[in-house]
Amino acid sequence: MDSANFSRRSLLQAIAAVMATAAAPVGWAEMALAFDQAHAAHGSGERRLSWLKETEAADIKAVAAQIIPTDDSPGALEAGVVYFIDRALGTFFSQLASDYRAQLATFQAGYLARYPAARSFASLTSEQQVEWLKGVDDTPFFTTTHLLTLLGMFTLPTYGGNRDHIGWKLIGFEDTHAFYPPFGHYDRDYPGFAIETAKIK
Amino acid sequence: MSGQTFRDSDTVDFVIVGSGAAGGVVARELAQRGLTVVVLEQGPRIAPQTRMHDELKDWYLGEITNDVVKNPQTFRSAADKDPALQKFKPALWYGRAVGGGSLHYTANFWRLHEIDFVERSALGAIHGTGFADWPISYADLEPYYTKVEWEIGVSGLAGASPFDPPRTRPYPMPPLPVKSSGVLFERGARMLGLHPFPAPMAINSEPYRGRASCVHCGFCHGLPCEVLAKASTLTTVIPEAEATGRCEVRADSYVSRIEVNRQGRVTGVSYFDRERRERMQRARAVVVSANGAETPRLLLMSASPQFPNGLANSSGLVGKYLMFNCVSRAVGVFEHELNEYKSVQVTRVLHDFYDSDPKRGFYGGGGLDARIGPQPTTWAIRTATEGPAWGSAFKARLKEFPRTMQVAAHCTSLAVESNNITLDPNLKDAWGLPAIRVTYKDHPDDLATARFLQDRGAEILDAAGALRVTKAPVTEQTSSVHLLGTCRMGNDPKTSVVDRFHRSHEVPNLFICDGSSMVTSGRGQPTMTIQALAFRAGEHIAGFAKRGEI
Repeated sequence: MDSANFSRRSLLQAIAAVMATAAAPVGWAEMALAFDQAHAAHGSGERRLSWLKETEAADIKAVAAQIIPTDDSPGALEAGVVYFIDRALGTFFSQLASDYRAQLATFQAGYLARYPAARSFASLTSEQQVEWLKGVDDTPFFTTTHLLTLLGMFTLPTYGGNRDHIGWKLIGFEDTHAFYPPFGHYDRDYPGFAIETAKIK
Repeated sequence: MSGQTFRDSDTVDFVIVGSGAAGGVVARELAQRGLTVVVLEQGPRIAPQTRMHDELKDWYLGEITNDVVKNPQTFRSAADKDPALQKFKPALWYGRAVGGGSLHYTANFWRLHEIDFVERSALGAIHGTGFADWPISYADLEPYYTKVEWEIGVSGLAGASPFDPPRTRPYPMPPLPVKSSGVLFERGARMLGLHPFPAPMAINSEPYRGRASCVHCGFCHGLPCEVLAKASTLTTVIPEAEATGRCEVRADSYVSRIEVNRQGRVTGVSYFDRERRERMQRARAVVVSANGAETPRLLLMSASPQFPNGLANSSGLVGKYLMFNCVSRAVGVFEHELNEYKSVQVTRVLHDFYDSDPKRGFYGGGGLDARIGPQPTTWAIRTATEGPAWGSAFKARLKEFPRTMQVAAHCTSLAVESNNITLDPNLKDAWGLPAIRVTYKDHPDDLATARFLQDRGAEILDAAGALRVTKAPVTEQTSSVHLLGTCRMGNDPKTSVVDRFHRSHEVPNLFICDGSSMVTSGRGQPTMTIQALAFRAGEHIAGFAKRGEI
């Protein structure tokens, strides 16, 4: 995959750059390689649910897809955020799980009361979904789904989301173990810090 | 790691509770002066070299900080409000690992100014607060600030800020390379006649004392440094303490109680070991450096018939006067990429608004700095609080990450007695010990200062040519990483917990040194001062021990 090759190339460049200075920490090349291997996980593995039921996951997936929609670039759906949420609730955020399940049930009862014929939240049109979410985006269910969606979108792919680094690519975050100046446009031609001689006081 | 170990039944010279910014320094200062020391740290000993820029683990799962499940806390804004259990992130966030908060801090290392120590005398009393002078002056602490800079390792440029207090030595390392945020901040500030300067950071700009220089990975904030360029006590003073052969750092050792004898003297501490067995380490004296939250908690948990209000608490001030440092920020979006996710958080600071100015109509002052703050997940979470929180507009805003910076304001917090740490009467942690209950509400002057400085920050961004500047709402804080003032220093036992040498007024062989010692909050960035206090305390406490004055 192109991005993997790119990442590998930038890693090697970074190692070369650090080694060329006197600054290289002991064992840095090994550290950088281990780091690169861990980050090379693109979340392509598990796509099975372990904690959420299919019907729950379908609604959460639809809500997440409204939080970070798919437009000219991939969104929460393609990043596999729902698999992150599934894993989070089943394991490292299990303290949130029972409350969350109840909040989801309240959410489902709410839209079903408004749209009795709906088979699921996902079966509503996007416009209907957005309209409904605008009315409930301060509820505990939405707040928690929102938080988990953002974590799943932007944290390491090893936790099930951010598949193929979709989240990082979206925001222009470059996943490399080292950088060197210039870092951005404005520090490129910086002339150096000039101490002002005028003393205050 | 040195092989030196002690048995519980060995009476060591000192037990130090906590291995963070203060505890690590005190341990080295005592051990290098020939005293035997056991440091008890409630968290594990990690190898920073094995870390993976894992935001989830370090920011949200509490692997080296508070785990909300095992170490729950409650928060309320006032004593008549119901305390709320913090289920996702704790109200108080601090290191629970060897190195403590120095593992995850941002490493901004400003010194306090001379005025910080005598502000009460200069400005007069402030009604309804415990605003007070320190029992020591800037001149008393200056040698130890210098010591921090040289022994811990701070990069910076002496003389660069016209507001800097006097110093006896330059910084040992030049400043870190400027980032785009620093260039823009400097440009905007100078256009307004202000005086930006290179940020003093406890991060190596060149190899220093056996540690590598920064590789600008951008993950200092909230995470341990993988290449050890950011100074933590784990990678600086603690190995030096252990190298003496007189210091043992015992990880996963959670102190539950300080023990006293009939004479009212400390005899050691009880603690839970890794297997949650209760043990007791005997010592001739105890130093508590567990941070501004855990230190008062431990003293309150050590209540006994002899000390019914908690140990060393005849003043009633243990846990009181909690100060967070008020904060605010202005956010600017620019035309071109800054890529603020690269390198250290801060490269430029200014102190033009440091002093309180009665003309503003409220007490307070602070510093401004240029930064982005978050890594990817935190960027997304924070962005959602400052505009559209979901949908296409939110997604479009997220994409501005590389072109965004903020000017952050770091401000005073007044000492208010009703802001405090108490033991939650209903909630226990995983060890069965009372959970921390936080009561906190920013003083109106603190919020006014934060808003005033936010406006100054917005002006700088405007002057620097930002396409768009927004001001995040300044609201009352409900969480913090700065935990200050809860066992304050002072000369009068009625109005302070420890004396000017960090000895408790009430128990002669009990010392307390960490953020809790601070009398006023400074203007943010307290670790530098906490470590200067710790170097000073260590030297004096060792002197007392040698002269038989403990």
